[in-house]
Amino acid sequence: MTVTTPATRAANTVHTGRMAASVGLAVRSLRNIRRLPSTFLPAVLMPIFQAIAFAGTFFAITQIPGFPTDRSINWFMPLAVVLGSGFAGIGIGLAMVRDIETGFYDRIRMTPAPRSSLITGPWLSALARSLIVTSAVVAVGMLFGARLSGTIVGLLPLYVAGLGVATIGTGWALGLAFLFRDMRGAAIMQLTLFLVLFLTEAQAPIMVMDGWLETVARVNPFTYILRLARSGFLTDTPTRDILLGLGAIVVLSSLTMSFARRQLGRLDR
Amino acid sequence: MTSGLTISHRAQTWAMSRRSITGLRRQPALVIPSMVFPLFFCALGTASFGRAIDLPGFPDVDSYLDFALAGAIVQGILFGSVVSAVGLATDIENGFFDRLLAAPSTRPGIVIGRLASGMTYGAFQTLFFTVVLIPFGLTIRGGVPAVIAMMVAGVFVALAVGGLMGSMAIRTGSSEAVQGAFPLLFVALFFSSAFFPRETMSGIYGALADLNPISYMVEGLRDLVIVGVTWSALFRAIVIPATMAAATVALALHSLRKRVAAS
Repeated sequence: MTVTTPATRAANTVHTGRMAASVGLAVRSLRNIRRLPSTFLPAVLMPIFQAIAFAGTFFAITQIPGFPTDRSINWFMPLAVVLGSGFAGIGIGLAMVRDIETGFYDRIRMTPAPRSSLITGPWLSALARSLIVTSAVVAVGMLFGARLSGTIVGLLPLYVAGLGVATIGTGWALGLAFLFRDMRGAAIMQLTLFLVLFLTEAQAPIMVMDGWLETVARVNPFTYILRLARSGFLTDTPTRDILLGLGAIVVLSSLTMSFARRQLGRLDR
Repeated sequence: MTSGLTISHRAQTWAMSRRSITGLRRQPALVIPSMVFPLFFCALGTASFGRAIDLPGFPDVDSYLDFALAGAIVQGILFGSVVSAVGLATDIENGFFDRLLAAPSTRPGIVIGRLASGMTYGAFQTLFFTVVLIPFGLTIRGGVPAVIAMMVAGVFVALAVGGLMGSMAIRTGSSEAVQGAFPLLFVALFFSSAFFPRETMSGIYGALADLNPISYMVEGLRDLVIVGVTWSALFRAIVIPATMAAATVALALHSLRKRVAAS
C-alpha cells in the first residue's frame, strides 16, 4: 500500500510545475478537437456562417448616412470573431462539466498538479481555439470582401479582442461549471454570453440606434471590446475606444477568472 | 363500414393530436426558447435597424417592428416545429411508435397527430407575438381578419416544417439527428427575406433569397401586416405554405411506408 505524505506530495509538486501541468491539460484539450471534432467544429463553422449571413442579409445598412464602413462584411466579421472566441471559452466550460461528470476531474485532483493549472490549462486551450476561430473567420471574411482600412497591423486588435473574449468566456464558464458541476450551467453559460454580446453595437452602430438599446449598449463594456475588434476594419476608431476596449478585457477577465478560482476553491472544500 | 372506419380514423388522429398537444403543454421549457428568442431578435432589430426603413428597397412601413413581425413568427415556428419532430423521433426511440404500428392504427394519423402540437403551437405563437408587440407600436393594417389569416398561415407553416423534420425523424429514428438538422433551418432562415427585404440584397444573397421558399412564406405574412388582407397576400401567406405542407407530409408518409416495409 502506498501512503502519500505531505512531504512526498510536496516533492511531486516540484516535479509537476504549474506550467507543465497547465500545458499538459491544454494539450489534452486540444487533442480532443481531433478525437471529437463534432464538439469543436460548430464553434468554427457558426461564426463563419454568421459573418457571411449577416453581411449578406444586412448588406444595405452600410447605406445609412454616417455608417463607418461601406462593406457590411467589415462590420459583421469582427462580431463573428468575438462571438466565436467567446463560445470557444464556453466550450472549455462544457468540457470541464464532462470531466467532472465522468470522474476525470477527481483523478486530476488526486495528482500533485497545482490546483490553479485546472484553470490555466483550459484557458491556454481556449486561447488556442480562439486563434483557430479568428484565423478561419478572417480567411473566409477576406474571401467574401472584408478589407482592412490600413495595414495588416489592423488585424492585431481583432486577435487581441478574440483572445480577450475567450479569456472572459473561459473564466465565466469554468466558474459556472465548478458551481453547478453538471449540464445545468450550460444554458446559463451560453445565454449570458449571447445576451451581453448582442446588447451592444453588434448589429448597428450606436449612432443609428433608437431607444433602450442605445442606453444599454453605451454602458455595456462589450461594446468597447467590439469597437476594439472592428478598429482595423473601420475608417475611424478613436484611440479612447481602443483603450476602453482593452480596459474592459482586463477588468472582465480578472473578474471572471477570480470567479472561476473561487468556485474551484469551494469545489475542493 | 367505410363510414365507421373513417370516423375511427378521425378519432384516432384526434386522440394522437391531443396526446402531442398535452405533451407540449406539460413541458413548457421545451418551447420557451421559441417564444423568447424571436421576440428578443425582434426587439433588437427594431432598436438597431429603425433607420433602415428609409433605405431604397424597403417597403412602406411605419416602423421596423411592422416589418420584423413576420420574420419573428416564422423564426418561432421553425424552432417550435423542430420540437414536434423531436417528439416523433423520441416516440420511435422509446418504442411507442412501434406499438402504434403494431396496433390497427391509421398511418397518416400517426404522423399528423404527432405534428398537431406544432400546428397548434404555430397558431398560438402567431397570436402571442402579435399581442405582445402591439403595445410596443406594432400596427396590423389588415386588422383582426389579418391576424386570423396569419394564424391559419402559422398552422400551415408549422405543418410544412414539421412534415419535413418529421420525415427526417421517421427515416433516422433519432432525436439527435433531428436536432442536428436544425442549423440547416436556421441557415435557410437567414438566407431569406425574414429580416431584410430581398430588394436590398445583392449578388448571391439576393439570388438565394429569391430561390428560398421561406422568403415567400414570410412575405405573405408580412403583406397581411403592412398592406392588409389582399388576394395576393392570402395566396402567399396561406396557399404557398399549404402546398408545401402537402408535399412535406406526403414525404413523411412515404418515409413511414418505407420504414414499415423495411421492418
